[in-house]
Amino acid sequence: MSFSPLRRVALKAAVACAFAASLAGGLPAFADEAILRVSAIPDEAPTELQRKFAPLGKYLEAQTGMKVVFTPVTDYAAVVESLATKKIDLAWLGGFTFVQAKIRTNGTAIPIAQREEDARFTSKFITADPNIKTVADLKGKTFAFGAPSSTSGSLMPRFFLQQAGLNPEKDFKNVAYSGAHDATVAFVAAGKAEAGVLNASVWDKLVEAKKVDTDKVRVFSTTPPYFDYNWTVRGDLDPVIIKKLTDAFLKLDPANPEHKEILALQRAARFIPTKKENYDGIEKAAHAAGLLK
Amino acid sequence: MSRIDRDPAARSRLIGALATLVILWPLFQAAEVKPGVLFDPGNLKVIGNFLAGFLPPETGAEFMGYLAKATLETLAIATAGMALAFLIAVPMGYLATGAGREKATLNPITRSLLTILRGIPELVWALVFVRVFGLGPAAGVLALGLTYGGMLAKVYAEILESVDAAPARALRHNGAGRPLAILYGLIPQASKELASYTVYRWECAIRASVVMGFVGAGGLGQLMDQAMKMLNGGEAATILLAFMVLVFAADGFSGWLRRALDTPPANRASPFGWRSGGLGLVLVVSIVASFSYLEIGLKSLLTVEAAHSIGEFVAGFFPPDLSAEWLAKVGKGIWETLAISVVGTLLAAVAGLLLALPKWRAPFSFLLNTLRSVPELVWATITALAVGLGPFAGALALALHTTGVLGRLYAEALDNAPPAPGQALHLVGAPGGFAFLYGTLPGAAPQLIAYTLYRWEMNIRMAAILGFVGAGGLGQLLYFELSLFHHAQASTVIIAMLLLSIAVDQASARLRRWMA
Amino acid sequence: MSFALNGVGLTHANGFTALREITLKAEKGERIALIGPSGAGKTSLLSVLGTALAPTVGTAEVLDFGQNFRLTVELAKLRARIGTVHQAPPIPGRQRVVTAVLAGKLGQWPAWKSLASLLYPLDVVGARAALERVDLADKLFARCDQLSGGQLQRVGIARVLYQQPELILADEPVSALDPTLALATIRLLIAEAEARGATLVASLHAVDLAIGNFSRIVGVKAGRIAFDLPASEITVPLLHDLYASEGDELPVQAHEPHFLSQAAANEAATRAACC
Repeated sequence: MSFSPLRRVALKAAVACAFAASLAGGLPAFADEAILRVSAIPDEAPTELQRKFAPLGKYLEAQTGMKVVFTPVTDYAAVVESLATKKIDLAWLGGFTFVQAKIRTNGTAIPIAQREEDARFTSKFITADPNIKTVADLKGKTFAFGAPSSTSGSLMPRFFLQQAGLNPEKDFKNVAYSGAHDATVAFVAAGKAEAGVLNASVWDKLVEAKKVDTDKVRVFSTTPPYFDYNWTVRGDLDPVIIKKLTDAFLKLDPANPEHKEILALQRAARFIPTKKENYDGIEKAAHAAGLLK
Repeated sequence: MSRIDRDPAARSRLIGALATLVILWPLFQAAEVKPGVLFDPGNLKVIGNFLAGFLPPETGAEFMGYLAKATLETLAIATAGMALAFLIAVPMGYLATGAGREKATLNPITRSLLTILRGIPELVWALVFVRVFGLGPAAGVLALGLTYGGMLAKVYAEILESVDAAPARALRHNGAGRPLAILYGLIPQASKELASYTVYRWECAIRASVVMGFVGAGGLGQLMDQAMKMLNGGEAATILLAFMVLVFAADGFSGWLRRALDTPPANRASPFGWRSGGLGLVLVVSIVASFSYLEIGLKSLLTVEAAHSIGEFVAGFFPPDLSAEWLAKVGKGIWETLAISVVGTLLAAVAGLLLALPKWRAPFSFLLNTLRSVPELVWATITALAVGLGPFAGALALALHTTGVLGRLYAEALDNAPPAPGQALHLVGAPGGFAFLYGTLPGAAPQLIAYTLYRWEMNIRMAAILGFVGAGGLGQLLYFELSLFHHAQASTVIIAMLLLSIAVDQASARLRRWMA
Repeated sequence: MSFALNGVGLTHANGFTALREITLKAEKGERIALIGPSGAGKTSLLSVLGTALAPTVGTAEVLDFGQNFRLTVELAKLRARIGTVHQAPPIPGRQRVVTAVLAGKLGQWPAWKSLASLLYPLDVVGARAALERVDLADKLFARCDQLSGGQLQRVGIARVLYQQPELILADEPVSALDPTLALATIRLLIAEAEARGATLVASLHAVDLAIGNFSRIVGVKAGRIAFDLPASEITVPLLHDLYASEGDELPVQAHEPHFLSQAAANEAATRAACC
């Protein structure tokens, strides 16, 4: 029997696969101690996050003596899960994602620092519909949240709506999740949702950058303040490194031009210490809003 | 009109048409089809502005760097995923197939395992693996490997069953074992089809690995998701172009490979010539390169600790939430997903047929290829902006991609339909359109219907995941619940996806038999 | 005048010359049989008459329509007046007999009628009348792929009867039928032509069938007209000369090789038409 050329390819593919598998097994495992793995929830463009992180990453490398690697992601929950499975060491989390991470790691995840602004964070309800003046007018309208596990784009607005007597699933005509704060603005501006809610900081950024037409889209309500974003490390990271990281964040000084650039990119006046208890309110809100079971 | 001259089929046709309407109407309702929204002047302006934002495409050096890296990653995920799929498919196919057996027993355990592997969309696997194995391409590779392994194994098994069994039977009667009987009796007959299908699947894997990025498994999809979420049209345009180039190149390469496989072997003892040798070398190198580029440390995936965390993660999915309240929600999701798949497929069938009409074909083949090369999920990010989040966006996205696929298949089917009936009608002076309707179309209809139904089977899986980008249905539920770590609820949704895809497979097979 | 070919030559795109210097005229109501060996050019000649192919040399006039054909509205009108019985009935297998017959008038019907007829056959009475004449009235609502090859061929003939053309062309119309039915069918075509004063041109494989039923016989050989004579003047040596390339036996009905097995022939015809 002669071998057809096809047979040959098929056979070789099999050989190649076996070979590749054996090689892949011999590659170095990736939990190398000298590397600090960092990620962030994708509430802004991950490429943007990556760009913003670059100077901070260099600074952290200098402060800890470790190689810093940033992994951009598109899924909020993946960051939490990666922290829990020790695939990353340090993460920029939202208030609600921190609560999720705390639960997923049996309370071991440690928040080390937050921006001054994060202690009094708010969300803005926006609309392009002149008839919507208060949250009560949202009944029967289409509404856009950000990502489901966003604190400022989903959880806290939901909680405050609930306190105002509104159940999004029942009282709104249609509830959509745009996936990100910028996207929420785009949906409202394009009339795809009659109203939406987003993070006050992103709203200010978009207004500053003139990326939103404020004649058309306006803020009609703002939530009461709550604790939001922080930098969290996994609990079993070497305490020496945790200390170095915490100090590094707290040492950032707006008076220092180099630090000023880092802080500006993070949209932070400065970093302040934080603790788990700061987020108990959010945990309660999440239970109340039915997002935690 | 006398009784005898009444069309006896009219009644059943009318009933059939009414029944179709009665079934389709609520589905169109559930898919929230509002064509008006698309052409509303205010909306056209929004879409226009959005598309205008695509120009000029982003060409900054920093972004091009990200793009090059993502493209490589996509290629590597597809190649490594296919290698894994092949490793899974060969033994599974061997176990599943009835070929080369003395008694035709089909292995029910392997078969149902394959159904499960195939029935859960690769994106769902990826989503789960991203959680288990962490961010990055390992999840994509495993997800591709499992789903495509399932598909390859099933098709391998079927191909082996479809060729003449006599040579293998003869070998077995002469005392050869089953593996040898298959190797010497069946593989030579089936090799062309086997290799051709494998290459075709690799092409699909590239498209699929693009999509994986949407759940954080790296590659071009991740970049696309980010660009679309942030409404960065320029970046999106560049990524789309990169996509198309990649898909067209893969298309061309796989076409070349399949033709090369057709050339008869040279007259020499060694089966390895310079070309097959070179190709084999390229294959080995690219697979090894893929695995090392992706830094998939299989060792770190196989530690006790990892196993423990996987176990914990998986355990969270059991038992699934079967409370009446949740089941009602999932039921609504199923209905919406079904609606998206049916409406999307039907719209695509109409558009695809129009684009496949012989007279119009030449300028439209480029359009078809473009529609086809952009995955549904990417279309969904665009249609969501055009018609708002919700099932209609999903149905439209599905329709756009499927139009490309079906248009091409329809064009082929129409080409292969017997030309004589249409020509004969031209000769009695029938206008072109009617010569087509009365002459060509009936001849091609069975093929067209079969293609459409096959595509519907694929689309139900797609419809189930379009919700990840806000297009409604089961996907939206799953995305929401997984985001909130509600694993018991997510588990119900995954089971629902599986059952739905099995049910649609059955329905489609039944419809095909009934139409034949 | 029904048609007039003047010095017509036909060379296909691939360079093969199928017809040379054909000059042939027919008056309205004439009945002509084309005979000759396989590949002589009978089908090509019928194609030129049917306006399917334009002559590459010479002129062709069909039903007062001077042409070297171009696709125009005029041509469609002309074609509506020409009916062709094909060698393999060009009918899609999944079509119903009634629709297949009604399709004969697509060139005459307004668009709305053609479209509506797809949903509900608009002239069942007319289709039934045409089918009755080929003994297939009971198959009116059957699907074409349920018919035998012979039955399908008769559906093709019924379509032409329904079309009521002024010029009937038939390309080996009875090669799929058994001898008795073949004879009946040829007679039916002749009676139809006679009744409506239409011209009939049929190519026939069986010489006896041609000579026994047609008044004018045209012998075609290697793309040329070998003879054009009244049936009464055809002689056996003339025929032997015409069929010299096919051996000593003249093709007559009894010897038609594909009637060795009726079933096989039927199946082949169905395959050719229905798939």
